[in-house]
Amino acid sequence: MRNQIAGTLFVLGLAALPAAAQTPYRAPRMADGHPNLNGIWQAMNTANWDLRPHAAGMGRVVALGSEDAMPPGLGVIADGDDIPYLPAAEAKRKQNYENRLKDDPEVKCYLPGVPRATYMPYPFQIVQSTKTIMFSYEYAGAVRVINMDKPTKSPADSWMGWSNGHWEGDTLVIDVTGFNEDTWFDRVGDYHSDSLHVVERYTPRSAETLTYEATIEDPKVFSRPWKISMPLYRHVEKNAQLLEFKCVEFVEELLYGPLRKHPRVNP
Amino acid sequence: MRHVCRALNVTAAVSAAGFLVSTAVLAQSPASVAKTAPAAKVTEAKSWTPPRMADGHPDLQGVWSNATNIPLEKPADRPQGARAAAAPNRQADGQLAVHYDNSQFGLDRSHNKVAEDDRKWLVTTPDGRIPPLLPEAQQRVAARAAFTRDHQWDGPETRPLGERCIMWPNEGPPMLSEGYNSNLQIVQGPGYVAIEQEMIHDVRIIPTDGRAHLPGSVRQWFGNSVGHWEGDTLVIDTTNFTDKAAFQRASQDLHVIERITRVADDKIQYEFTVEDPHTWGQPWGGKAYWAKEDAQIYEYACHEGNYGMRNNLSAQRAMERKAAEEAAKKESK
Repeated sequence: MRNQIAGTLFVLGLAALPAAAQTPYRAPRMADGHPNLNGIWQAMNTANWDLRPHAAGMGRVVALGSEDAMPPGLGVIADGDDIPYLPAAEAKRKQNYENRLKDDPEVKCYLPGVPRATYMPYPFQIVQSTKTIMFSYEYAGAVRVINMDKPTKSPADSWMGWSNGHWEGDTLVIDVTGFNEDTWFDRVGDYHSDSLHVVERYTPRSAETLTYEATIEDPKVFSRPWKISMPLYRHVEKNAQLLEFKCVEFVEELLYGPLRKHPRVNP
Repeated sequence: MRHVCRALNVTAAVSAAGFLVSTAVLAQSPASVAKTAPAAKVTEAKSWTPPRMADGHPDLQGVWSNATNIPLEKPADRPQGARAAAAPNRQADGQLAVHYDNSQFGLDRSHNKVAEDDRKWLVTTPDGRIPPLLPEAQQRVAARAAFTRDHQWDGPETRPLGERCIMWPNEGPPMLSEGYNSNLQIVQGPGYVAIEQEMIHDVRIIPTDGRAHLPGSVRQWFGNSVGHWEGDTLVIDTTNFTDKAAFQRASQDLHVIERITRVADDKIQYEFTVEDPHTWGQPWGGKAYWAKEDAQIYEYACHEGNYGMRNNLSAQRAMERKAAEEAAKKESK
């Protein structure tokens, strides 16, 4: 009871102060003095459907009815409402959209890339140490180990990219390069090339939330760098943990069904 | 750099060479355990104490190799000359008459950093052998083998798990050498130890906060792992397996206990015990060593580049069509 009252007073207190006078949230520290970002986090938005502001829409699979309908969302683009495609890239984006049921890498259980891994409808866990920070994603068992030591160069292109991190004050900044051109940003065909460069920023904003920002740069596809921003929420359930979502077995019929000895009639 | 080469090659080697080698590792006879890569030189002085995390527990972090040239168990006794007779295409020194450039696929033994270990097998049973299967397990295994014989090319579900890119044969738990890319990375956060195996980027996040296992209705390929510290040893207890990915032909009631101890700056001792009332008459276990690597784990995107599955199934369908055509021709004559 006392805590509740204290909490109420605290909130009222903040509301009464002008914004500039508010003390920014100060996260609990690790032994090395950096904010403690450990935990199981998840986005709570519809960015994986479409990064832009969008009304609800018809789904892609008739049989799934409202389960596959696109939920509406306000979008997560931080510096405008649209993505600054170059003209040729815009055409490719439209083509992706038309073929999204066939071509979206998520449909095939492929690794999601960055930043998409962050806002897929699955939790991810941060295991934070000093020289390395692991980001383990429930979707497809995707993983990245962020190198917090001296930056290293990407040895080869990959789905999840090559991540070097550092701290700027209380913000974990991750510079990601070395992507292949095979991942998308959402289910409506937003895409990139192998020149993608993502800078992510994770900033504690309360005990149970982080602010996530990602600046996306790709001179082959976009006319300028652009940015997305969203809060991430902590899973506070007592027994919260990542479970296995090894989706490969769920897409085998889709990918290899016609090659069966006895193809299924109604798969 | 040699790890870079491996990473670039893995997708090519995914479906074909991978399982051949990973199963071959367990099947090697001691005779072939020879020219190993330079072993990690270690001093296991009693006075050595591990580096510690802020919470006082040992710091196990880093990239480790659990590659080994030691077979899991003592090879079965065979009459002299049986080996040569069984493999007539082998040369006297144990090399295949046909030479493949194993380094092309990261399969050359010189690529593996191997922890120093002069034992002859990893199993720690008195006779060096895995206990015999119980009759119940023999029946289960025989039924499975018979089904596989008749249906192995029917569709993706009857292909090996590694070929399906679901999990690699020795990923465990218990985690044993994969044959190639036998690399693991450990990252520790407060209350958690995370272990990533390079093969199929599989991560185990082990809570050390005393929580209970998942409900029995939740079954996972890797089971469900909970951990605790016993002195300087991380003890991991794993249950909740499926009946599909059984280690050494076990059932879903497999129970695995792993004990991970850093015994030197560049060496981890890995012990495991397994029990399963539906498979073995008694628990058994083994021990392996991991060597510290000055390297990084790279992405093993197996499913994304899985041409092997498509090729295998379409080749089989083509062979069936051809056989059917020939049979029809014969009939019409």
